[in-house]
Amino acid sequence: MFNCKDSIDKLLEYLDGEVAPDVKHHLEQHFKGCSPCEEFLKQYRETAPLCRKALLRARMPREVADRLTSFLRDALRKA
Amino acid sequence: MRDLTRLQRQPNVRPLMEASDENLLLRQAQAGELGAFEKLVELHRDRVYGLALRMTRSEADAAEITQEVFLSAWRNLSGFKGENTAAFVGWLNRIAANQTLMRLRHRKVVSQIEASLEGPQFNERGSMLDEVADWKSDALGLTLDAELSEAIQLAADALPEEYRRVFLLKDVDGLSYEEIGDITGDSVPAIKSRLHRARLTMRSAIDAFYQDVESSD
Repeated sequence: MFNCKDSIDKLLEYLDGEVAPDVKHHLEQHFKGCSPCEEFLKQYRETAPLCRKALLRARMPREVADRLTSFLRDALRKA
Repeated sequence: MRDLTRLQRQPNVRPLMEASDENLLLRQAQAGELGAFEKLVELHRDRVYGLALRMTRSEADAAEITQEVFLSAWRNLSGFKGENTAAFVGWLNRIAANQTLMRLRHRKVVSQIEASLEGPQFNERGSMLDEVADWKSDALGLTLDAELSEAIQLAADALPEEYRRVFLLKDVDGLSYEEIGDITGDSVPAIKSRLHRARLTMRSAIDAFYQDVESSD
C-alpha cells in the first residue's frame, strides 16, 4: 500500500498513463482512502491548464507587430 | 531560395490576406507565396512572441526572437513536411524554443529572484502534513481572477531557470518531452523530474493564493 509521499511522487507518471498496472492499482487505492491526496491529485491535474490560461495571454504590441512586418518584408525580399 | 522579387512583380499574385483556410495558406506559403506567409505570421506572431517573452522576460528580446523565428521559418519552409496547421504550429514552436534557448545560453541569464522549489511536507510515515485549500470549483472556468493570474505569473517567474524552462515549454507551449529533450539536450527522465517539481511548486503557489483568500473571507 502506498503512503502519501509515494503517491505524490508518482503523480506525473500516473497522469501521463505511464505507471505499471500494479502501481496504478496501489495509487488508486490510496487516493480512495486519503481525501487530502485525492484533493491534491485534483489540484495537481488543474495546475497545468490554470497556468497555461494565466500565462498564454501575451499579445504582441501593435508597434512591435508593425516592426515585425516591415522587417520581414525587407529581409525576405533581400533573401 | 524562392524568387520573392518575381512573386511581388506578378500582378495576379495578390496578398492572400482574405484566405480563410489556414491549411491552404500554409500550402501557398510553402509554394513561395509571400502574401500567404505574411498572413501566417499575423496568425501566429502572438504565440511566438509570448513563448519568447515568457522565457526571456524581456520584451526587446522577445521582439527580436520573433523576427528571427519567422525569418528562419520562411527560409526553411520548403523543408517543412507537415501538411496542416497543427504541424506548422508545432514546428514553429520548436524553432521559437530553439532560438530562445540559444539566446538565453548566450546571455547566461540567471534569475535574481529564483525561489526554492516547493512541495508538500510529509511526516516520517510519509503522510501528508499540509492542509489543502479549497480551490474554487470554477478555477478552470471561463474567467480567471486577475489576482490569481498575477500570482501564477510571479510564481512562474521565480522558478529556478531549468525548471521554469521545462514547465513553460511543456505545460504552457505544449511541446512534447522528446521535443524539449532535442532542444535542451536534457534526457526525458530529467525533464519529467523537473516538470513534476515545477508543477508541485506552481500548485503550492496557487494553493497559497486560495489559502489567503480563505483567511481573508
